Amino acid sequence: MTTVMLVGTGAVGARAARQLTDTAGIERVLIVERRKSHADVVAAAMGARAEVLEWTADSPVPDGVAAVACALPAGAEQPIASRAVEAGVPFASSGDDEHDLMGLRSLTEPARRAGITVLAGCGLAPGLSDVLARHAADAFDEVDEIGVARAGTAGDACIATAGRALRGGCAELRDGVYDESRRRGGHELVWFPEPIGPRECERVATGVQLLSGAVPDADRITVRLARDDTGARKRWLGRRDPEGSWGAVRVEVWGRRGAAREPIVYGAIERTAIAAGTVLAVTTAALAGALPGLLAPSAGVFGLGGVAQPRAFLEELSRRGVKAAIFEGVPVA
Amino acid sequence: MRALRRGLIVLGVAVLAGGIMRLRGKGGVPPTSGGWRELEGPDFR
Repeated sequence: MTTVMLVGTGAVGARAARQLTDTAGIERVLIVERRKSHADVVAAAMGARAEVLEWTADSPVPDGVAAVACALPAGAEQPIASRAVEAGVPFASSGDDEHDLMGLRSLTEPARRAGITVLAGCGLAPGLSDVLARHAADAFDEVDEIGVARAGTAGDACIATAGRALRGGCAELRDGVYDESRRRGGHELVWFPEPIGPRECERVATGVQLLSGAVPDADRITVRLARDDTGARKRWLGRRDPEGSWGAVRVEVWGRRGAAREPIVYGAIERTAIAAGTVLAVTTAALAGALPGLLAPSAGVFGLGGVAQPRAFLEELSRRGVKAAIFEGVPVA
Repeated sequence: MRALRRGLIVLGVAVLAGGIMRLRGKGGVPPTSGGWRELEGPDFR
């Protein structure tokens, strides 16, 4: 019997629970949630395969768990990842807070010693965006530049994280060197797939290093975030829509095929929480062995682009309704 | 006094122009031709 443990049932976690219980190879989903009544509601909605587990990060991961998925607000991931590493259980998280991503990367040596895979940033971006970037990079002889942009947030915790990313310093990979800056600058109008369309985005540090690990030959990597997804108005509007807001990701990769330098532009559009939850669930199911062929995991801490088999992974997401698209045309003015 | 008024007017115009430029953003990459096509079976082979 394949059992996975899902920690957190907010906007992303609840969608991940649905996807995990709908995965044929997963027989049991243990749901861990601080709010007991909420956990009961989610478990009841998921059917017989889901059950509530009272567990805290002070305790060891229960025996028999094949993989741990984490969909918690910023600041809560690392202790859970540490318990998973100690138990020798693979771990995936949907968090997109850069400090949390750094915290997970600090587990690289323990994860290698334990021989397990820890996957950080398994949401929309970072996450799906990394897989799309790796997929595009595979089509080139040589990759020059990657530009990732995301619009949309999944819930209040995600809105808060995006707000912090936009208020904090930004970073990019320039000439192969990670360059941090307190000065933001570089806001740009990004053309997402319709109906999101053009949105003004600003550079952030989120996920730059993870993507650099997935596509190590890229000289320049930038990540941008739409600013108008982070305000109080957004929080109020988001509560009005029980399905959460629409989100989109746009990944533009420039590289060389033979003598020609050209771009490949991929995009995706979906309810942000659904996209992030589906990516987290598919990743966790693959780590647990229920979806073979989607990942090529090795011991250590990686972003999703570093271990995903892009074609198989994107096909599985497409089968579950999270569909990527390619821009065909001339993406320059 | 006149110089001060002129200075304030120049400052106001500069702030307005800066605000408009910020609202307009920096251009990005408008898709001038073409469109989005969903990835399907053959794209995953």
